Amino acid sequence: MTVYITSTGSFLPGPAIQVDQVENILGAVHDKPSSLRVQIQKANKIQTRHYAIDENQQTTHSNTEMATNAAEQCLDRAFLNREKVGMLAVASTQGDLPAPGMASMVQAELELPEIEILTTHGICSSSIMALKAAWNSLRLEEHEAALVLSSELASRLLKKQRYEAATTSTFAAKRIDFSTEFLRWMLSDGAGALLLQNKPAPKGLSLRIDWIRGFSHAHALPTCMSVGSAGRPTDSRTWQDYNTYAEAEQDGALLLRQDVRLLDNLMRMGVDGYLRLVEEGVSKPSEVDHFLCHYSSHHFKNKILEMLNTAGVGIPEERWWTNLYSRGNTGAASLFIMLDEFLRTDEVTVNVGDRVLCFVPESGRFNTTYLQLTVVEE
Amino acid sequence: MNNGDISIEGGETAPAEESVPEGVVLNPHAQVCLQHLLRVWLGFERDLSKVPLLRRIDLGTFTVEDHQVFLRNIRQQVIEGSRWITRTASSFDRNHSEIRSTIISHAVDEHRDYEMLEKDYVASGGKLEDILNMERNIGSEALHGFLMHRSSRPNPIDLLGAMWIIEGLGEKMAHSWAERIQELTGLSEDSTRFMTYHGHNDSEHMQRFYATLDSVGVNEEAIASIVKTAKVVARLYRLQLEEIEYDVQ
Repeated sequence: MTVYITSTGSFLPGPAIQVDQVENILGAVHDKPSSLRVQIQKANKIQTRHYAIDENQQTTHSNTEMATNAAEQCLDRAFLNREKVGMLAVASTQGDLPAPGMASMVQAELELPEIEILTTHGICSSSIMALKAAWNSLRLEEHEAALVLSSELASRLLKKQRYEAATTSTFAAKRIDFSTEFLRWMLSDGAGALLLQNKPAPKGLSLRIDWIRGFSHAHALPTCMSVGSAGRPTDSRTWQDYNTYAEAEQDGALLLRQDVRLLDNLMRMGVDGYLRLVEEGVSKPSEVDHFLCHYSSHHFKNKILEMLNTAGVGIPEERWWTNLYSRGNTGAASLFIMLDEFLRTDEVTVNVGDRVLCFVPESGRFNTTYLQLTVVEE
Repeated sequence: MNNGDISIEGGETAPAEESVPEGVVLNPHAQVCLQHLLRVWLGFERDLSKVPLLRRIDLGTFTVEDHQVFLRNIRQQVIEGSRWITRTASSFDRNHSEIRSTIISHAVDEHRDYEMLEKDYVASGGKLEDILNMERNIGSEALHGFLMHRSSRPNPIDLLGAMWIIEGLGEKMAHSWAERIQELTGLSEDSTRFMTYHGHNDSEHMQRFYATLDSVGVNEEAIASIVKTAKVVARLYRLQLEEIEYDVQ
């Protein structure tokens, strides 16, 4: 059974926030402007992004609400009665509740009766896990249509109060901690939605799903992006091992961390997976018309990409497209938000028959995921 | 490709791969060979992260003693390196005089690198006699044996695969390890000169590598032999780092 993405939707909360306004939203820790903000923002080149918290760090939209809004837009654009949706797959790094799964909460908001649900847990690549499961469900002909959502509310982890509460953490001791501040100036909020069906939409363009693959390298590499530990190599406790959650927070175990030193491995493993797909004949670089890459920033000076050109498998720069710089890095939601705009933007000409290669790497513990779509019209 | 050039403090400050000059065009067989070699390298590099001694660099628990252990265990291979390289040169016949010249000049560049390594060892607080007394560890024996065997065969073009791995590691030491080791151990630059010098010297070697790959990687058989030797050397090099002798002999 061939499966198509027949509709998309997205939701970005509040106004577009400029580079110099970000600290007004997330708050200055102990009322002192960050000494790392400008440097990190320059490196990631993100110009505008959105937050689901206001200038007093109060939540304006829950994660469930954002996912629901994206889903509503997607369903409103679809040539399908929502009763036909048999499965709801929802991806997020952290739903509003640790339990139950976020899909339950979103299903309730969408009032979709008696459907099959799936919540995937992870970071950026959780969206691809959800998409693959839904795709397979349709391929197995268990459902005619599935809704796949990805939504992120990272700003709740990044607001100043989180850092101020970490009074005994490495961050507090050193007054500065690159690993906990790095993502503060990288991530923002938003949600995306894809509708999968067993036939293309009767009007307009659909995206046929050709293949979805993923390669995880957690067996070999240490954790690179995480929440739940204090980030000390000799301390194996995780947040639930502390006597109280308050102690875990004080110790910095609830701060979002990125070991920037390990990040270079992500690009390397990304290239390895891509070369593997080329070797297997799954991906043919010369046939890729558009390359949509969720690569969280351009802070690598990585000559490995030039080597790919020398090896004859590079993808020319003019075929790359992203909206990361205007919509922000919304983690798991990024690719869906990107696909939604890709089909509507004037920046790029999309023709029937075009092949779209997507790459979603997750730094968490190095999971690299890839998919290929082909533009079709009924 | 769309890639920025801003490096961030706390992150890697230099690329671990060598730049490819504008206009390098490899023949189609050599291109496929490079694709395979990249995968062998990336797999090797990832698997090095699992080697206990090296994992401590990633985890931030690497000590001065670890650095000394590393130098003590790698010295034999560095000494033997110049032997298999010169043997390789002598195994090429007159029809391969160009490649023979390239290999000879490479050997000249590196054949006394081990002396630098010994000075690093002393600078890091080790006793010279301790490093001089070290024998090859189990992995070094296997690696050395394999390289001497292959280099003794006529026209051993497959050893380009060995150079790919060993040169790549030189670059990695220079750009990923040396500074991090200094940071973690408090050792100064004069304890990691072998690592940094080796990487610096390697940029030239890389240009020669592409030229040689283009000239010898001309059919499927040649490619298969280069890639296989790269895989074997990657595995045996890792074995050398897994079979670390921790004690002074």
